[in-house]
Amino acid sequence: MTYFAMALAWLFVALALMIAGVGYPASDIVSPDTLILVHAVSIGWLSLAMCGALFQFVPVLVAKPLFSEKCALPALALLSAGLLVLLAGFLSLGGHLPPALWLLPAGAVLLVAGFGLVVVDLGLTAWLRPTGPARFVLVGLASLCATIAFGAIFAFGLAGWAGSLGDVLMTTGVPLHAIAGLGGWLTLTAMGVSYRLLAMFMLSPDVDDRQSRLTLAAGALAVAVTVAGGGLAIGLNSGLKIVLSMAAILGLASAALYGRDIAFIFRNRKRRQLELNMRMATLSFVSLAGTAVVGVALAMSDTFAAHLGAFAFLAVFGWLSGLVLAKLYKIVAFLTWLETYGPVMGRAPTPRVQDLVAEGRATKWFIVYYAAVGAGTLTLLAGAPEIFRLTIAAMTLGVVGIVREVIRIRRLAYVADPLRLPGGAVAPHLLFARN
Amino acid sequence: MTHYIDVDVRPILRSGGEPFSVIMAALQGLEPGQGIRLYATFKPLPLFAVMAEKGFAHSERELDGGQWEVLFTPAVTKPDQAAVANPSAFEEWPEPALKLDNRDLDPPEPMVRILAAADQLAPGETLSALLRREPVFLFPQLEKRGFRWLGGFTPDGETYELTVRAPS
Repeated sequence: MTYFAMALAWLFVALALMIAGVGYPASDIVSPDTLILVHAVSIGWLSLAMCGALFQFVPVLVAKPLFSEKCALPALALLSAGLLVLLAGFLSLGGHLPPALWLLPAGAVLLVAGFGLVVVDLGLTAWLRPTGPARFVLVGLASLCATIAFGAIFAFGLAGWAGSLGDVLMTTGVPLHAIAGLGGWLTLTAMGVSYRLLAMFMLSPDVDDRQSRLTLAAGALAVAVTVAGGGLAIGLNSGLKIVLSMAAILGLASAALYGRDIAFIFRNRKRRQLELNMRMATLSFVSLAGTAVVGVALAMSDTFAAHLGAFAFLAVFGWLSGLVLAKLYKIVAFLTWLETYGPVMGRAPTPRVQDLVAEGRATKWFIVYYAAVGAGTLTLLAGAPEIFRLTIAAMTLGVVGIVREVIRIRRLAYVADPLRLPGGAVAPHLLFARN
Repeated sequence: MTHYIDVDVRPILRSGGEPFSVIMAALQGLEPGQGIRLYATFKPLPLFAVMAEKGFAHSERELDGGQWEVLFTPAVTKPDQAAVANPSAFEEWPEPALKLDNRDLDPPEPMVRILAAADQLAPGETLSALLRREPVFLFPQLEKRGFRWLGGFTPDGETYELTVRAPS
């Protein structure tokens, strides 16, 4: 819960930055202001939310306890501190703070330590039983390692501490860092976790291992081609065009295969009625497909570089953030239900998980959110930054509404009184879960 | 070379039965130096401890479809033969006092029913339940209440069979 709360706080920071006109599209896509925005979103919001979800669900994926329960909180502290120092470094780089470029490598070191704890803890846990979805997590963690390695080199390079190799990597290697992070770490891991969550919540058989292995292989190959091929291309000074085209084709194949797997889960579900989190997750899958379509269209018309921001915006806020928000809604309800009623279950009448939520109220906020994401993508493609800021304001409204619903779930606000706290049950704390 | 007697408890597990007594009977029939080659539909973890107490080392190997082959090999120092001859010393799980079919219930109803039914068991009694999925969130709740459990998927992967035993 602490990870989720911290992640949501960073999401609000990122939304506030966009409303205030900090970073892309108000500034250049490689400006220090854009770097602040991008890292607040990718590390603060998405990576923290993903880590929080993985600490809960990797043990479920492998049916084994976490390698170490003690790592989660120090990792969160290191990641938060590292991100703050890194952002301060970007502020300094952009001239908003007195020059102190050593902040960048310092932030990178803290982030490497924090992510290192996460990778070791989750990696060793998933390694015990690397079946279907756990394999996605392992590849995602490997991609995370590649991402932070690139990031650390850039941070040292910006401080002038990485020598000529650092300079070469910094001028050409940014796409590799971004693809490993967004594609490898966040997307492949989100895919892996979604397989199990979707099957669990819809009572569907798990996707056959051989089938999902193909999806993973395409995705893993895309990341491997990007990192290894990209590194080689930079070393040979031959340009990244061929490597990036190959990675794009493999990435598209992986997204298409993932679509096939998700369709299988939906078709074979035992629970016909779809809960809110599923209906909203569907919009996130549509966004992933939309991201692929936009990417292909831009590449065909040779305008990909000009509209990179719109492409990344749809991937980050439609696909990844949308999925995280939809699943957060369900995960918080489920974990709160288990925490509160697990100890008295079978001994006293308990509410159902669905009694903790008010889906009607939450639906409208999700609709506001997704509509704003769609509109935001269009305004970016059309090059209308002022209207873009309006859509971000609408998005913020949607997120505020969703977060308010999640807090009400945590407070058991929707559970009718005789069932709310049956003999011996203790109301959960807002931020700290007992299990 | 150790000679192994084959014991296949998969049909018993598939029909929802309790294989412990069969395994223990096979154990009593062993000649000195003989071992058991056990086939099961899941990795029989609790059995390892019981067999180690009786002086058997184990090595296991996963077969296709989540099934397991386990070799129980007598250790060089033989345990007290009298203990082997006395079945009351073995931890036998009795026939389930209650059988639940929770396959068509929406979660978390299966979990609620199993916990409610388990609380009604007399000391040492067992219940068995059929489920659609591995009840990963139920296990910690059972352990917190002092219950022990054994579970695994049937070979077709469609049904999860769980046996829960009340503390004796």
